[in-house]
Amino acid sequence: MTRPSDDQLRAILVDMVEARIQSGRLWNLQRQGQVGTMAPIDGHEAVVAATAHALDPAHDWILPQYREPLALQRFGPEVLEQYMLYNVGHPDGSRLPPTVRVAPLQISLATQIPHAVGLAWGMTLRNESGVATVFFGDGSSSEGDFHEAANLAGVLQAPVILLCVNNQWAISTPLHQQTAAATLADRAVGYGIHGHRIDGNDAAEVFDAVDEARRRALDGGGPTLIEAVVYRLGAHTTADDPTRYIPAEDLEAARRADPVARLADHLTGLGLWDDETRTAVEAEAMTRIDEAFERAISQPLAVDAVFDHCFATDTPRMARQRAAVLEAAGRDPGGGP
Amino acid sequence: MTHVFHLPDIGEGLEEAEIVEWLVAIGDVVVRDQPLVEVLTDKASSELPSPVAGKVLSLGADEGARLRVGEVLIEIDDGTADVSAGQATSHVDDPADAPPSAARLPAVAPPIGGSRPKAAPATRRLALELGVDLAAITGTGPGSRITADDVQRATTPGTTPSPEAGTTASADDTSPRTESRLGQMSPGRHVLRGVRGVVARNMVQAWTEIPHIHTMDELDASLLMDFRERIRAMDRPGAAHVTPLAIAAVAAARALRRFPVVNGHVEGHPGDAIVILDEVHLGIATATERGLVVPVVRHADTLDLFAMASRIASLAAAARAGDLTAADLSGATFTITNYGSLGGRFATPIIPPGQGAILGLGAVVERPVAVDGEVVARPTLPLVLGADHRLIDGDLAETFRRAVVDDLTEPLHLLVGG
Amino acid sequence: MTGTSELTMLQAINEALHGEMDSDERVVVLGEDIGHVGGVFRATEGLFEKFGGTRVVDTPLSEGAIVGSAVGLAMAGLVPVAEIQFLGFSYQAMHQIAGQMARLRYRSQGRFEPAITVRAPFGGGVRTPELHSDSIEGQLANVSGLKVVTPATAADAKGLLAASIRDPDPVMFLEPLRGYRGIRGEVPDGDHVVPLGSARAARDGDDLVIVAWSYQVELACRVADALAAEGLSIAVLDLRSLVPLDIEAIASAVDRCGRAVVVEEASQTGGFAGEVVATMVEECFWSLEAPVVRVSGFDVPYPVGMLEDTFVPDEARIAAAVRRTLETA
Repeated sequence: MTRPSDDQLRAILVDMVEARIQSGRLWNLQRQGQVGTMAPIDGHEAVVAATAHALDPAHDWILPQYREPLALQRFGPEVLEQYMLYNVGHPDGSRLPPTVRVAPLQISLATQIPHAVGLAWGMTLRNESGVATVFFGDGSSSEGDFHEAANLAGVLQAPVILLCVNNQWAISTPLHQQTAAATLADRAVGYGIHGHRIDGNDAAEVFDAVDEARRRALDGGGPTLIEAVVYRLGAHTTADDPTRYIPAEDLEAARRADPVARLADHLTGLGLWDDETRTAVEAEAMTRIDEAFERAISQPLAVDAVFDHCFATDTPRMARQRAAVLEAAGRDPGGGP
Repeated sequence: MTHVFHLPDIGEGLEEAEIVEWLVAIGDVVVRDQPLVEVLTDKASSELPSPVAGKVLSLGADEGARLRVGEVLIEIDDGTADVSAGQATSHVDDPADAPPSAARLPAVAPPIGGSRPKAAPATRRLALELGVDLAAITGTGPGSRITADDVQRATTPGTTPSPEAGTTASADDTSPRTESRLGQMSPGRHVLRGVRGVVARNMVQAWTEIPHIHTMDELDASLLMDFRERIRAMDRPGAAHVTPLAIAAVAAARALRRFPVVNGHVEGHPGDAIVILDEVHLGIATATERGLVVPVVRHADTLDLFAMASRIASLAAAARAGDLTAADLSGATFTITNYGSLGGRFATPIIPPGQGAILGLGAVVERPVAVDGEVVARPTLPLVLGADHRLIDGDLAETFRRAVVDDLTEPLHLLVGG
Repeated sequence: MTGTSELTMLQAINEALHGEMDSDERVVVLGEDIGHVGGVFRATEGLFEKFGGTRVVDTPLSEGAIVGSAVGLAMAGLVPVAEIQFLGFSYQAMHQIAGQMARLRYRSQGRFEPAITVRAPFGGGVRTPELHSDSIEGQLANVSGLKVVTPATAADAKGLLAASIRDPDPVMFLEPLRGYRGIRGEVPDGDHVVPLGSARAARDGDDLVIVAWSYQVELACRVADALAAEGLSIAVLDLRSLVPLDIEAIASAVDRCGRAVVVEEASQTGGFAGEVVATMVEECFWSLEAPVVRVSGFDVPYPVGMLEDTFVPDEARIAAAVRRTLETA
C-alpha cells in the first residue's frame, strides 16, 4: 500500500482543477463553433490525474480513450498542445513528440487495449522497464477487443494495467444494461489476471491501486484489471443531452460526491488549499488553454498535408494525386512554393 | 469592434435551432463564456456561451424564432478598436494554406510510347468499317493520335473498281454494281454523307495534296498472254488463278524492290518528310457490293507467281463475302487498280493518301502494232503509272514504268530476278 | 554471386523468415500454432527451436488480439510478423487491420513506424472448408495505408517477404495456398530482396498481355506457352505488388500489345482486376485495340468443393478469353 504524500495529493488536485476548468473552456469553444465534438472530463478528474501521478512519465506508457488528455498533463505540456490541435482538427493533433509516452486518442472504442498489451509485451522484449496503462470505459469492456486483449495479456503476463473507468453510462446505456456481471473487475478471473475494484473518485485510492499494479507488473507479476467506479457528471460529448436519460436525483447525488470538491475539502482541512489558491490555479489554467488554442489555430497546414505520413513514401499513384492537389492550388508539384 | 457571432453547428450536422430564451438583453455587459441564449435543436437543448466579453449590441432573432446555422445570432461590442484587417468572426475561416476544395485529376497522361497506332476504340471501329489502315495514317490528334477525321480523310479514293481478280481481259462485266443501279439517283438534292461522303473527302484530299503526274504506255501483250495460257494449262495448284493482274503484281513488286522511292510516300502537306518503307505491301483495288475496298497482299515481294495469284484470289473472295479483317485492309505501300475489267484503256488513277504511286491496268485489246517495219495485229495492254511528283520525278517515273513494261512484255524476265 | 536452391514456395517463405529473424533482432513472429508446431503449413518451421519462445509466440485463438498486439509491438519499436491462419479469418481482425494498423503512421503523423507484416494464405483449388480460400485482396487494396503483396514464384516469395518485413509500413503478405507445394523454383541463397511496387514480366509477348497475380500467374504462363505453339505471342505480367501498383509496367505492356486480359480468383465485382482495367484505360486508352477482358471468380461467395472448379478461373477460361480478345477486330 502506497499512499500518496500530501504534496503528491496537492499536485494531483492542481491537475484536477486545471482539467475541470480547461474542459469547461473547450465545451464553450465547441458551443462557439471553434472546435469539434469533445468529451467533457467532469467526474473523471481524480481517476485520470491520480493515475498519471502514480506512473513514471519517463518509462511508463499511457494509452487514453478520448476523455482523459486534460488530466494527463503530468506527462508533458505537449499533451495540452496536441489535444488542442486535435480539437481544431489539425493532423498534428495525434503526433506526440518522441519524449512523451502518451498514445494518440482513440475514437474507435477498446481498440487501444490490444495495443497496450502489445506495447507492454514489446517493452519486455526490449528489456525496457516500464508498464503500459490503458484507459477505457464500462461500455468498451463489452467490446471483443477488451476480451481478446485481456486474455492475451494473461497468457503473456504482459506488464499492462487495464484501467476500466466505470462512469455508469455508455452514452445512454446504464451499467445494468451493459452487463449482467456483478462487477467489471470480476472479469479478471476469467482471464487469470488480477482484478481490483476501487472508488475512482478517491484520488488516494486510485494512486494506491495503480502504484500496486505497477509494481506487480514490473516484478513480473503480470497484468491487473482495475475497475475504477466514478460517475459521469457531464454529457457523454457535446453532441449528447443527458437530461433525456439520467434521472435528476442520481445526478444530484453524484454531484455531491464530486471528486474535485472532495479532494479540495480534504486538502483545505490540511491547510494545503484554499479558494485563493483555486482561483489562481484556474486562472493560470485558462491562460494556458487560451494560448494553446491560439497556437493551434495558427499552426501551419501545407496544402498537400493530406498525403503526409500515410506511407513512409508515396506510392506512384499517391504521388500523382499529390501533384494534382498542388497544381490545383497553384503550387509547383515539384515542390516549389 | 463589433464581434458578430453566427449560429454555429453545435451538433454534428445541425442545420437550424430554435431560440428558446435569451439570457441577456441589448445593452447588457457580458463576460467571455457567459451564457447568452438557450437554443433547442433536434438533439438537445443547449446554452450558448459568449465568445467575447463586451456589450450586447443586437440580438439576431426573437424567442420562438428559428435560426439557420451561419445566420447572425448576436452582435457584441468587445470594446477594442476597429481593426482594418477585418472582423474576428467565429472561427469558420480556413487557415491560410487550406487545401483546395476540389482537387482536379491530372490531365490524362500522354501516351507512354509503343509503336502501335494510337486511336480511340470508336475510331478503330470506324477505320474497320471504312477499310482504312491505321498504320498508314499520321494522326493529327494530340500525341499524334489518329482521329475520326483522319480516318475519314484516309479512306481510299475510288479508283474505278476491278472485278473479281480472276479475269481482266474478259469483256464480261462482272462488276457487282448491276447495270440497272449504275448511275441511278432520284431528282433532288442528296446530302453527301456516308461512304459517298467519305469517298468525296478522300478524293479531295488526294487530289489537292498530292501533285499527280501520270505516264502511260501500251505494251505488246502477246508473250504475256501466251505465258499466261501455258501456266494455266499446268496442273499445279494456283495455276488457274494466274491472271495478267497477278503477273503485273509480281512485276510491280520486283520494280518496287529495285526502286524503293516508289514504295515510299510523302508525309504532311505540302510535305514534311519522305518515308521509305522496307516492306512491300500491294493494295489491290477491288469492287464489292459495299463499295470499293483495297485488300493488301503483304510482303508481296516475297511471293512467287502462284503464291501471289492465290493470295489475290482469296482476298477477292473474302472481299466479296465481307470477311476481310482490319489486317487485310491495312498497310499498303503501293496500289494496283485494274479498270481494264470495265473495258477502260487509259485513265488517270488517283493515288491513295499515304502512298507515293499507283499502277493502273487497262483492258487487253488487239491493236495494230509496228513490228519490224510491218503493221500487225497484237494484243496490247495499256498501263499507266500515277506518281506523287514531290517524291518521284519524270526520270524515275519513266524508269519504273519501263521496268514493269519490260517484265510484262517479256514475262520470262520474272524468272531471272534482279 | 550466391548460388540458388530449388525450393517450394513454402520453403522459400520459411527461408525468408529465418533470414529476417537472424539479421534483425527486432523481428517477432506471432500467430496461432506457429511456434511449437511450426505453423499448420510448416511455414514457420524451425523458428521456435532456433530463436526461442520469446520471439516466436503461439498466441491464443484471437485474430483481433494478434493484429492489435502487433500494433502495440510496433509502437514499442519492434518488427512484428503476424500470421493469420487463413486470409478469410482476417474478417475477425478487420477493425484492427483497417482501422488501426493501416492508420498508425497517419494518425500519429509519423510518430510511430508500423513496420508490421501480416502473412496469410489465400486462394483455392485445394478443396478447403468454407472461408479458407477467400480472396479479398481487392478489399484490402482499398484500405489506404496498407500495402498488399502476393508472390507467384518461390524466389519472389522469399524476396518479397524479406522486403515486406523490412518495409516501414504495414504489409498484407498474401500467400497462394495452391502454391505452397505446387510452385517450385530456383531461389537465390542468402540475402534475397525483391522490391515492392515492381511487376515482373513472366512471359514476353507482343500480341496480348495477361495481367495476373498469385497463383493465376502460373495458369497464365501455361496458357501463354500453349498458345505459343500456335504462333501467338502472349505476354504475362505478374503484378507482385497490388499496392503499391507498378503503373508503368502495366502501361508499357498494354502499349506494346494493344490487347489485355486480367485474371483474378476473387469475385469480379469490386475485385482488384477492376482497378487494373481502370489503370489501363487511364494510361493506354489510345493503344487499346479491343476491350480489356476480366477473367474472375463469379459474384458468389467462395463455393463448396463440388463447385470450386466452376468458380476458379482455369486455363480453359483464360485461354478462351485470350482468343476472344485476339479475334476482336
